[in-house]
Amino acid sequence: MSENEFKSGFFIGGEACEGRVLVVDDEPDIRKIVKMTLQKAGYEVLEAENGEKAIEVINSGENRLLLDVVICDIRMPKINGAEAVAYFRSNYPRVPLIVLTGFPDTDMATSFLRQGVVDYLVKPVEGEKLRSAVARAIEQRELARL
Amino acid sequence: MALLALLGNSRMLKKAASGVLASLRGSTYRSVRLASSLTAALLDDLFEHPAGRSTALPHGDRLMEKSDHTKVAILGAGRGGLALLDLLHQIPSIEIVGIADRDPAAPGLPRARELRIPVTTDMPDLISNHGVSLIMDVTGDPEMEAYLHAHKPPTVDILSGSASRLLWQLVQHESKLEAELLQSEKLAGIGSFAAGVAHDINNPLQLILGLAENLAEERDLTAVHEQARDIIEAVKRTSAICRDLTHYSRRASPHENVLVSVNDKLDEALKIARYASSFHDIEMIKQYQPGAAVKGNPDELLHVLVNLITNAVHAMEHAGGTLTLETTVLDEQVGVRISDTGCGIAPDKIPEIFEPFFTTKAPGKGTGLGLYNVKTIVDKMQGKITVDSQIDKGTTFTLTFPNAEPAGQEGCLS
Repeated sequence: MSENEFKSGFFIGGEACEGRVLVVDDEPDIRKIVKMTLQKAGYEVLEAENGEKAIEVINSGENRLLLDVVICDIRMPKINGAEAVAYFRSNYPRVPLIVLTGFPDTDMATSFLRQGVVDYLVKPVEGEKLRSAVARAIEQRELARL
Repeated sequence: MALLALLGNSRMLKKAASGVLASLRGSTYRSVRLASSLTAALLDDLFEHPAGRSTALPHGDRLMEKSDHTKVAILGAGRGGLALLDLLHQIPSIEIVGIADRDPAAPGLPRARELRIPVTTDMPDLISNHGVSLIMDVTGDPEMEAYLHAHKPPTVDILSGSASRLLWQLVQHESKLEAELLQSEKLAGIGSFAAGVAHDINNPLQLILGLAENLAEERDLTAVHEQARDIIEAVKRTSAICRDLTHYSRRASPHENVLVSVNDKLDEALKIARYASSFHDIEMIKQYQPGAAVKGNPDELLHVLVNLITNAVHAMEHAGGTLTLETTVLDEQVGVRISDTGCGIAPDKIPEIFEPFFTTKAPGKGTGLGLYNVKTIVDKMQGKITVDSQIDKGTTFTLTFPNAEPAGQEGCLS
């Protein structure tokens, strides 16, 4: 992704960027691999190891405005994924949420989608699928802004 | 007389035994338990009220005035003698005064020594002296019965021949039943591992997939090597999960009785318990005294510890807390303490917690057999289990076992 090809139209630190994504997962390996996968497609990736940290990150500085997507695990310490999802939905309804979980659970998926979660992905997820889910989420956010 | 009392009961005993079998086939917990307690009740009757069902017997009034204990001599230390030892030593009203076998290598003899029951090859001495009130003959020797009737003191009862075989069969059923209950509960519990296992397998899989996708395009050889190593490590972690779980879910070998390190088993139990419950927000304190060793079945002890740790963690699932695992070694005793700072158990519920089918969990969430099986195994290991609990403060389960390696006696276990 070259600097000239930016799409969603904002600049971070003077560089073109596809968007800013927060990945919330207690496993450093998962954060590392999601970051690697998304950075390749030009996203800026922030990390949080649990729901509590995620809330801290989203409330800090420009993130409140510039965060495009949150990718959230469910089984986590402190504030778990389900609680974090509820918090994000009520406080930041404009930020699209993608759930990325290790435990496929149809009931939980339905409940999340009802709460407005845009995608429910089950690990292991291919890089391409993850990138297109993020792209789709940002597109919806752009549409919602219009 | 006890023999006749037993024969008088034999129809009921057979009924109980066939109930046990039918229930095992039907495999419903409650009926299995019912048949089992019927067997136990009959055994209780036999030993505690030997004259109760045998009014027309000679010496009918003698046993009424005997001391509280039935003094039993066991002849034959083969499989039958071994099973009787394991059963009878758990019953408080029975005192086993000795066990005899002509074969010094009989399998019941080492077990008797462990239970501190006198072992002898001198049968005449055992049956005539020591105040024996009941001789249980499980030698399988057809001449023994005639010999006993000719040589026993007049006040002593004999349980032999078909009656002792029937009793032995019941004991066998009982132990099969316990094993079946234990296995069923364990397998039922494994269902609750699904979320933990899925989490722990799918996370490394995500890493493996992501790295492999990256490797397909990676040109930097150093990065390739590093990521390949990461993949290997992730695969190892994943396969360890399958190893732990298959080990845990296998059927405990029924008669294994070996030296087990309690500290190692606690660590192993922690690994398993992590699948069953979320350890997030739980602080762990381990205080292990080195050398804590007990005698028993390692798989069964593991099951006890997994159960107690899982319960402790469940008690803290809403607010988090501290899980403390502690072992102590005194001269004669090994202690294990598992404490949580969770919701606690209501005082009126405490007397019920070791009862089968007692559960505070929602229908379908617990079998109600967890602590019942825990208690059964601890009893079998000649241990004790006590509970101390306060609502909203927490619960401590304390296990005490005979020290398998008291100071200065290492290597003396025969």
